Amino acid sequence: MQPVYAAHWLVKCGLSAAMLLLACGIATAWFGNGLQLPSTTTRDGTLITLNRYAKEPIPDVALVGSSLTFRLKEEYFATPKLRNLALAGGSPVTGLEIVANQPRLPRIVLVEVNVLSRATDTALVERYSRSGNAEPLFFRPIRTAVAAYENWLHAPLSHAQVSFALNQLVEQPPSSFDSHLYADRALQQFNAEDPSVAARMNARRIEQLIPQIERRGARVLLFELPYSEQLESSRSATLTREIIHSQFPNPDRWLRLDYARGELRWADGVHLDERSAVIVTRSIDKALASLLGAGG
Amino acid sequence: MTFTSWQFGVFVAIVFGAYYLPPFRTLQIQLLVIASLFFYGYGQPELLLLLAVAVFGTYLFLILALRNRPIWLPIGIAFNIALLAFFKYKFLFVDPASASLIGVAPIDFLLRLPLPIGISFFVFHNISLLVDLTRQKSAVPDLKNVFLYIIFFPQLVSGPITRAEMFMPQIEPKYFSDVPFVEAAKWILTGFFFKLYVANNLNEMTSYMAFPLYETLQTQDRWLLVFLYSYQIYADFFGYSAIAIGLALLFGYRLPINFNLPYTSASFSEFWTRWHMSLSSWLRTYLYIPLGGNRHGSFRTYLNLMIVMGLGGLWHGAGLSYLTWGLLHGLLLVIERPFIGRLQAIDSTVFRAIRIGFVFLCVTMLWIFFKLPNFDHAIGYLSGMFTPSTNPNPPKLFYNLALLYSLPVIIQHLASRSLFERTLRGAEPYLYGSMAALMYLEAGSETSFIYFQF
Repeated sequence: MQPVYAAHWLVKCGLSAAMLLLACGIATAWFGNGLQLPSTTTRDGTLITLNRYAKEPIPDVALVGSSLTFRLKEEYFATPKLRNLALAGGSPVTGLEIVANQPRLPRIVLVEVNVLSRATDTALVERYSRSGNAEPLFFRPIRTAVAAYENWLHAPLSHAQVSFALNQLVEQPPSSFDSHLYADRALQQFNAEDPSVAARMNARRIEQLIPQIERRGARVLLFELPYSEQLESSRSATLTREIIHSQFPNPDRWLRLDYARGELRWADGVHLDERSAVIVTRSIDKALASLLGAGG
Repeated sequence: MTFTSWQFGVFVAIVFGAYYLPPFRTLQIQLLVIASLFFYGYGQPELLLLLAVAVFGTYLFLILALRNRPIWLPIGIAFNIALLAFFKYKFLFVDPASASLIGVAPIDFLLRLPLPIGISFFVFHNISLLVDLTRQKSAVPDLKNVFLYIIFFPQLVSGPITRAEMFMPQIEPKYFSDVPFVEAAKWILTGFFFKLYVANNLNEMTSYMAFPLYETLQTQDRWLLVFLYSYQIYADFFGYSAIAIGLALLFGYRLPINFNLPYTSASFSEFWTRWHMSLSSWLRTYLYIPLGGNRHGSFRTYLNLMIVMGLGGLWHGAGLSYLTWGLLHGLLLVIERPFIGRLQAIDSTVFRAIRIGFVFLCVTMLWIFFKLPNFDHAIGYLSGMFTPSTNPNPPKLFYNLALLYSLPVIIQHLASRSLFERTLRGAEPYLYGSMAALMYLEAGSETSFIYFQF
C-alpha cells in the first residue's frame, strides 16, 4: 500500500509541476518576453534597458557609460529615438561592446568616459551579442503579472508628458540638500584608488572599437559629466581625465557640452541630482540637435 | 557544493543510487562517510585535514573519557572549543592578506586558512558526542559511526545540530522499502521553494540594507526591508533545514526539526523553543543546565540567560553586532521572565495576537544586527528608521512584489494547521507540484545560504 501511495503521490506532484511549466511555456511562446519586468536592483534596471535595445528598432542615438549617465533618464531628453544604455556600477566599454556587436548601429554613439576603472562585463557582452533567438523558454509568472500591473498603472512616460514638470523643476532654485557626508566619503574613495592600469586598458579598447563602429557608418563621440568641485580634483578623476585625453587629444572626438556649472548639484558629489541631470541633458540635446541636423 | 547547484543534484542521485544496491548493504556507513568527505572537500579540499583532526581528536578524547570522564571530558571539550575559537576568531587579531604573519610556515598556513564551512556545527556535534556517550557510559563506538555522526553531509554545513544520543542509535542497515518518499519529497520541495522563491527573491530587495546603500532609502522602506529580511532569514534557514531533513530521510536518518512557526511566538522564551530549535536545545543541554539553569535563584538564572545568549550570539560570529544581538535577546528573556506566568494566564485571543505582534516586532528589529555585522552600520540603519529621509532620489521598491515573495512565510504562519492537514489533504500533491514549478520559474538570483557563513 505504502509504495503505491508514494508512487501515486509523486506522479500527481510531477504531473502538476509539468502542467504548470507547460502552461507557462505556451504563454511565453504566445505572448513573448516583451513585458518589462520590474527591477528590484539597479542591475535589473540595466537589463531591462539592454533588453529593449536588443528587441526594439535601433535608435538614432545611444548613450553608454557608468552610473553617472544612468541618472540621465531617457524621458529627460527631447531628442527622439534615444536610448541610454549606461550601466550603474559598470564600465562604458561594456555598453560600447554591446552596441558594436549588434547587427545594426545607431547614427551616433555617445560614450561617457568619467569612470574607466572597471573591467568589461564579459558575461553581459556575451549575453547581448548572441545572434538569433536567445529568449528564455519561460517567463517569470509572478514578475510578469506585477509588470503587467505596473505598466498598466504607470506606463513609461515620454518626454512630451514630462516636459512641463521638467520645466518647472529647472525653474526652481538648486537643491539645498546637504550631501557633504556622502561627498566626503566619495572623495576618500576617489583619492584612495589608482585607476591608471584599468583606465589605460579601457581607453585602448575604446580606441579599437571606434574605427570598427565608424566603418559601419555610425559616429562615436566621447563626453564627460561634471563632478562636484572637490571630486573634480581627486586622484582618480584627475588620472582618468589625463589618460583618456592623452588617448583622444583631437577635440573633434569630444561632444561639446554647454551648461551653467553653478546651477548644478550632486546627490553625493559624484552623481547629479534630478534637476542638474535635466540641465545637463538639455545641453546634450542641444549638441545632438546640431549633429543630427548636420548629418541630415 | 551548495544544495541549490546542479552538481549537488547529481551527487545525491549517484550516492542514493549506490546506497541501496545489495552489494553496498554492508558498506552503507562507509559510503556515506566517503560521500560526505567528497561533499565537504569539493570546494575546500585543504580543509579536509582539519575535519580529520577534529574527528580523530574527538574520537581519541572519547576513548579516554570513557575510561576517566572527570579528566578527559573537559579536555576533549576544550580541544573542540579551541578549534572553533581559533578558526572563528583569529581574524580579530590577524590580517590573512598581510605578507608575513608569525614567520613560522605551518602556523602561517593555518592562520591564512579561511573559516572552515560548518565548523560551528560539527564542533557542537563533537561536544555532544563526548558528553552524551560518556554520560551513558556506552561502549566505544566504531570510528566509522563517529565519522558518520559528525560529517553526515545533509547536516554537516548548517545543521540541524543533532544530538549524539538521538543520531547514533539510528545507525543500522537501511532498506529501500523503508524510505518515506512522500515525506522526504515534501521536506525537500518545501525547502527548495522557501530558499529559491522566497529567500533568493527577497535577498534582491534586502541587498539595499547594505552599507552605504541603505542611506539612500526612504524611512518607510527601511522599515519594510527589515521585515522582508525577517522573512528572508527565516525562509533561508528553514529552507536549508527542510532540505537537510528530507535528504537525511532518503538515507534512512531522521534529523530533528529546526523550526516550528517561530513568528507565532507569544513570548521570547517561546520564540527560542521555535527558532533554530536544535541550537536552542544544544545550548540548554550543554551550557544553560551545566551553568545551573534556574536552580540557584533569580539572579543566577538571569545571569545564566545572559551568558548563554551572549555566547550564542558570539557563536554566530566574532563581532560586536552578534554579541549585541545575543545579549539583547538575553535581556528580553530576563525582562519577561517575572511576568510570563501572569501574561499567560490572560485568556484572550486579542491579547495573544498583540503579544505575538510585539515579539515579532522585537525579533525583527534585532535582525538588523545580523544583517549588518558592522556595529556602526547597524546603529546607523536603526537610527535612520526613526528620522525622516532627506534623499531626493531614493530607490524604488515594488511593494506588491515584496508581498508576493513574502506570502509563503505569511501563509505558513497564519493559516491554521488543520487547513493543510484536513481540508487541502487531497490537493497536497498538486500543491507541492505547483511549488516545484514555481521555484524553478520564479527563482531569485543565486545566493549562498545565510547560515553558511557561521
